This record gives sequence, C-alpha cells and structure tokens, in this order.
Amino acid sequence: MADENFDLAACLQRVRARDQLAARDLVEHLYPLVIRIVRSHLPRRVAEEDLAQDIFLKMFTRLEQYKGAVAFTHWVSRIAVTTCIDQLRAQKRRPEFRWADLSEKEADVLDSVLTSEGEVAVNDSLAARELVYKLLGQLKPEDRLVLQLLDLEQHSVAEISARTGWNPSLVKVRAFRARAKLKKLFEELQRKERS
Amino acid sequence: MKDFDSRWARLVAAARQTPAPADATAPYGFAVRVAARAWTDDRPTLQALFGRFALRALWVACLLMLASVAVDYFYLRGGSQDEYANESLYDPVSEVLTASS
Repeated sequence: MADENFDLAACLQRVRARDQLAARDLVEHLYPLVIRIVRSHLPRRVAEEDLAQDIFLKMFTRLEQYKGAVAFTHWVSRIAVTTCIDQLRAQKRRPEFRWADLSEKEADVLDSVLTSEGEVAVNDSLAARELVYKLLGQLKPEDRLVLQLLDLEQHSVAEISARTGWNPSLVKVRAFRARAKLKKLFEELQRKERS
Repeated sequence: MKDFDSRWARLVAAARQTPAPADATAPYGFAVRVAARAWTDDRPTLQALFGRFALRALWVACLLMLASVAVDYFYLRGGSQDEYANESLYDPVSEVLTASS
C-alpha cells in the first residue's frame, strides 16, 4: 500500500459513518491495489479508470457486509477480481485463435516457442506478454485468472485462494483444466503453423 | 503435456520480464468523484425496483394461472355435468305464472 501509517480501521469507521473525506482517503489508499488487479485482468475495450470506479462503488455499497473475517484488502481484492471476471464474461470471446491475429513480433515469439528449445530473447518480452494475454484471452475468465495469478504473477495457491475466495483444491483443479485447454490451443496452433 | 509445460514456462518467463507500469496513484479528482458517488448509487431507482419485482410478479402470475387451470380442469373432468343436471333451477317467472293461473 502507498502509506504504511494509514489507519485503515479508523478510516473504515469514519467511512461507515458516511464521512466523504474518509471515503476519499480510503479510495486513495486502496487505488494501487485495485488498479494493479484491474490492469492485470483488464478486459479489452474497457477503460481501467471506469472499471476501478465500479469496483470502489461496489466496495462502498457492500461495506456493511464486511464483518472482518478476512483482511480488508483481501475483501476488496475479491470484489475487484469478481468485477473483472464479470466484465470478461460480458465480452464475447473470439471463437478461434488465429496466427493472423498476431503482430509480426508476437508471431515470431510464438514460432520460436513452438519450434525451438531456446529461451525467448529479452527484447521480445513485451511481445511475449501480449501473446500470453492473447492466449489467456481464449480461456474462460476463471481459468484465465488462475493461470495469470499462478504462472504470470507467480502467486502461491494459498495467496490466490485468499485473493479470489476459491478454496485451494478448486484453484489447483482450475489451473489443471486451464493448462489442458491451453495445451490443446498450442497443438492447434502448431498444426496450423503459419499456413 | 511435458512438452507443452516447458513451452508455456518459457513463454511466461519471457512475459514476466516486462516491467509493470509504475504509475499507480489515483488520477487527479478520481477519489473525489468516487467518494461523491459512493452512497448515491445504493438508493434503489424506480427502474431497479420495477426490475426486481416484475420478475417475481410474473412468477406469481404464472403460478396463479396454473392453479386456476388445474382447478378448472378438475371441475370439467369431474362430476361437473351431473352437478348442473341435478341442480333444480329456481325460475321466478314460471313461479309467478303458476301462481297467477
């Protein structure tokens, strides 16, 4: 969080009493956490600020439901994650992933991953990231989320469980299924390789 | 799967090398705008109330319709015809005519 000395409990108490100033402080305090989640799950064509605003408004609306069973930041994370998943669900996914959808650089990275055993060049990392997001975009929002948190952001199963509210077994099962789907996608891509 | 695992691991490792965007402070006016709207959105609008109750009303209407169809069906299939046949109808006109003759 931005400010280590921020008194979250006192701020929440004031927010519950509908103190506008405290609400502003809370938004500013939680913004880095929320925007990090939004940026990593941002559905296409959705402005990150709009999504962040939706998340904060949901947080204020549901604040009475927060009983302190989990850390407040985890509770907000869950709202952020479910809001992003809802947004992703609302969007239509492409029925098929095609080489033609990739930029030149992304296609090169995918080509090198599929055909050689060497590491991807460091200066191709941006293209690799874009490619990973495009591949993950072919999965269901929950599957995409679990692989993103596990593989891309390298969170532990326990952390993902805390952040999403899913139990650890569900996280593992989802990761396994998501990898299986991704494997299928890789195989299809390999078959169609730059045909 | 092992082949896929190593490919995926290499791709993700490359993707991780991209630095995350540094700017994570709220844009100017964002917190003020959100705080101002914080408690205005939780008041149910007329449209939201209609949306909430319309579906329930539809279910209740369907249930009532089904119940009335069931009851009517029971009367039509049951001894409803006999009931009408055996019923002695009170005819005030014929009563008056009988009395006057």
